[in-house]
Amino acid sequence: MPLIEAKDLVKEFRRVRPKTGAFSTVRTLFSRDFEVTRAVDGVGFAVEAGELVGYLGPNGAGKSTTIKMLTGILTPTSGTVEVAGVVPWRQRERNARNIGVVFGQRSQLWWDLPLRDSFRMIGRLYRVAPARYAQNLDRFVEVLGLASFLDTPVRQLSLGQRMRGDLAAAMLYEPPILYLDEPTVGLDVIAKERIREFVAGLNAEQGTTVLLTTHDMDDVERLCRRLVLIDHGRVLYDGPVAPLKEKYAPHRELVVQLASPAEVVVPNADVVRAEEGRVWLSFDPRTTPAASLIAEVSAKYEVTDLSLVEPDLEGVIRRMYLEREG
Amino acid sequence: MLWQLRAGLILLGGAFRATAQYRANIFSNMAAGAAFQTVGLIGLWVILNRFGEVAGWTMSDVALMYGLRLTAHAAWAVPLNQLMEIEHQVREGLIDRYLVRPVNPLVQLLTGRVRLNVFGDLAAGLILLAVAASRADVDWTPARLAFLVLAILGGGMIEGGFQLGLAAISFRTLGTSEMRFTVDTIFNLYGNYPAKIFSVPGQIALSVLPVAFVAYLPTCALLGRDSGLPLPDWAGYAAPGLGLLIATGGYLFWRSQLRNYQGAGS
Ligand SMILES: Nc1ncnc2c1ncn2[C@@H]1O[C@H](COP(=O)(O)OP(=O)(O)O)[C@@H](O)[C@H]1O
Ligand SMILES: [Mg+2]
Repeated sequence: MPLIEAKDLVKEFRRVRPKTGAFSTVRTLFSRDFEVTRAVDGVGFAVEAGELVGYLGPNGAGKSTTIKMLTGILTPTSGTVEVAGVVPWRQRERNARNIGVVFGQRSQLWWDLPLRDSFRMIGRLYRVAPARYAQNLDRFVEVLGLASFLDTPVRQLSLGQRMRGDLAAAMLYEPPILYLDEPTVGLDVIAKERIREFVAGLNAEQGTTVLLTTHDMDDVERLCRRLVLIDHGRVLYDGPVAPLKEKYAPHRELVVQLASPAEVVVPNADVVRAEEGRVWLSFDPRTTPAASLIAEVSAKYEVTDLSLVEPDLEGVIRRMYLEREG
Repeated sequence: MLWQLRAGLILLGGAFRATAQYRANIFSNMAAGAAFQTVGLIGLWVILNRFGEVAGWTMSDVALMYGLRLTAHAAWAVPLNQLMEIEHQVREGLIDRYLVRPVNPLVQLLTGRVRLNVFGDLAAGLILLAVAASRADVDWTPARLAFLVLAILGGGMIEGGFQLGLAAISFRTLGTSEMRFTVDTIFNLYGNYPAKIFSVPGQIALSVLPVAFVAYLPTCALLGRDSGLPLPDWAGYAAPGLGLLIATGGYLFWRSQLRNYQGAGS
């Protein structure tokens, strides 16, 4: 039986259009005039114990909303979730003991307390035996490098320090499942690497099941063996990383910097991304040699710089989203 | 239940340590709470001194009722004062973390911060109640004393149950502070004076609304007076039961509204 199982998961956000005038609060309360956003639209997947799954998609795809339903924060509009035999939103307190949660945007720690004090509160709230607690804390302090700021109030920590603190707090009670929602966003290379190492270690040594959302393809390449890709609240791909790469790998990307922004149209290549005069072109080198594409582009547009990019996962995913939409 | 209490104490300890750096603040807040209530008391005293009595109620009768009301108010405001944070916490998505911890979210909200000014209210209420009770024309048998305690808790639960239910509407990302303030004002306006002084429609409204059950009806029961409301004589004794009912209703409503929580949107 899978450890995490979501079936036909749907979440609609409703915002009542506010009323104005007399008794506005009461009229808003009983209003049926909703603005509905269908953030998650029939997502289903199953994760076995010990897996490390990347949950990816463009901004607004519904990743965070899915995670919030898996963690029990949000109640699904329809569909079912079961995590370690528990329906998260129905049995929140039982579910809480099975999961660790880290949101890149928002800390779970006590803002005004020293990191050490936050950890102690977590230890007591999750009823971790003192010996076990001391042992875990020592290990995390070493692996995540927390020693220098253990006695600093959380509000004074840098983003990278805070994230490492959050990760330690999420794992102090050794939950079998860890959800990470953009844990490396905004961090420097060294902090990112530390976090990746920690997560990889948890998965390999303790068998912690991890579900990770990220925009950093290095996170994915380094950590995930399986990907679930979503867009507009629907699953586009669910499977291992390798075949996805193979299918789209024939494509290379040519990045050109134009002297002035322009709509680029060239045969045998697709524009996959464009911003401020920089254009990403995807092409198949088996039918279109790079040299001829470069010649074609420079003949039609004023190019100030260009580079050829080997296929990485990000390019693969961009390409895939493009085909879906096209 | 026992676990929720223990977890609440752990969280309260953290909240206390977090605010300990603003200790000066804590005590000035407490003093402000007491001062605010003292001003209200002086106002009442001035009115009574001028008229001697209101609707046949002597100064010490009214003081007993006022003390009961103040103490009942503090009885809900002390544990539930953090309800005033709810709108902000819903809007900012701060409820998220309560929902992934192994403690009742309400317990977590209520123990999020220590606010000592409500203890100023409690102190003012208890002092007034003690003075008024000793001077009122009541033979304080153990049974009457026990009823007084139950009436305080019941009154607190009546007001607190309403406040909890209203706060729960905030989960639908609606502003509720106005409504909560209005309800508090109704309880303050109509709960602090003998219901007899109001006109007939006002009295009927009061016997339907539970306002009169907070302090007026229990005080009538203690003093052995006719309430003048279209309610049976034993209505005052039913107040603690009604409180339990309303508090339970408020909590069940809170629980049902929690599923409407939508987070802050990324
Ligand atoms: N609390 C909310 N209220 C209204 N809309 C929301 C809320 N949370 C998310 N959304 C909307 O739902 C969609 C999916 O959001 P989200 O799950 O945060 O995407 P992602 O994490 O993939 O970037 C977006 O259109 C977002 O604006
Ligand atoms: Mg997100």
